[in-house]
Amino acid sequence: MLKWKINIIVVLIVFVLFYLLSYPLNNWLSLTMPRHQLLQLPAMFVLGITLGAFFKKIIVKNISYSIAGIIFIMASLIFWMLPRSVDESVIHPAFNRIMHFNMLVAGFSTIAIFRNMIFEIKIFFLGMTAAMLLATGITLRVFDMLLCSSFNIDQQKETGFYLIGIAVGLFIGTLIFLFKKLSKK
Amino acid sequence: MKKILIPLVALAICMFVISKWTDTFKAFTVFSYTLHQAGNTPRDFPDIPMIDQDGKVFHIKDKHKYVLLNFVYLNCPGVCQKVNNRLEKIYHSISPEEVPSQLEFVTVSFDLKNDNVQKIKKYRSFFGDINGWTFALPYQTTQNDFEQYLQKVGIWAYPAPGSGIINHSVYIFLISPENKIIRIFDPAREDDLTIAEKAQSCLNGKLTSSLY
Repeated sequence: MLKWKINIIVVLIVFVLFYLLSYPLNNWLSLTMPRHQLLQLPAMFVLGITLGAFFKKIIVKNISYSIAGIIFIMASLIFWMLPRSVDESVIHPAFNRIMHFNMLVAGFSTIAIFRNMIFEIKIFFLGMTAAMLLATGITLRVFDMLLCSSFNIDQQKETGFYLIGIAVGLFIGTLIFLFKKLSKK
Repeated sequence: MKKILIPLVALAICMFVISKWTDTFKAFTVFSYTLHQAGNTPRDFPDIPMIDQDGKVFHIKDKHKYVLLNFVYLNCPGVCQKVNNRLEKIYHSISPEEVPSQLEFVTVSFDLKNDNVQKIKKYRSFFGDINGWTFALPYQTTQNDFEQYLQKVGIWAYPAPGSGIINHSVYIFLISPENKIIRIFDPAREDDLTIAEKAQSCLNGKLTSSLY
């Protein structure tokens, strides 16, 4: 009974945070590229993960559906990092909310899939995500032409710099995860 | 077989969505997407009445010569000025025998609210003696019609609410005497000399049309 109460409280907290990030704070978070891409987007993903973490019974057991889920998560991340998507989501708040919901679902799916996922695919997923973030970060960092009309070159380069940092961090984390698991074997 | 089918279907759906969104993986920014949506070159340059810095109404199609055309707005905090400074260099690098007899420069403002004939005349005067370079405004055109016109041309323009800033593309269009867009230059990718050389090659019939 207590567990159910905790779950309900967590769901409420997640949805309050989702509402705050998506509505009252949306203008502030959409004002600069680093806020939009490095705070708002990952925050929604983390909220999804948090939500998923409290629903331990939700597990994707079928490997085919797990891989399909990973494809969906990767495609979602790619889609919302495209310069056109960034611009459209800044211009149209409704479109931005689709991104928020998509990221929430992607985060939730990640946890549900990871619970029953084979180790090699987990490493593959994390490595691919790190590589994708690194490639995006380098592109934003080195391009001297404006990719997102809603922001400026300085913000674009700043976002690229932090994305490279996040990618390297994720890559190191993946390596630690890999070697820990291998040492156990 | 069914096991592999589910991920393949998921992959196909995701690729389809991203493909549609990027115009078959060709346009990843709002600038390039708007340009690709307008169609490949050569294509007709959409007609709209314009008024020049001297108050004379004209149509690009009536010029019957090559036109190098770009869009700016006078309150632009940076990029428009940079592009026009580069166009100035291109203008001076092209032989006076070709400008304005064969080629004319046209700079169109897309700020219907703030820019007027007096302002564009004053702005043009900063460039000195530039015979064959017209500064213009859309004439008797509503904001809605002008937005549709820009889309047909392939220009992305979005006035950011409350800031007075218009986010926009900086493409430069080369229009043939037959009123067709035959070449589109991206000043962010191409240097002044390359643009001038390519424009001159088109004038001399050496270059065929292409998107960039």
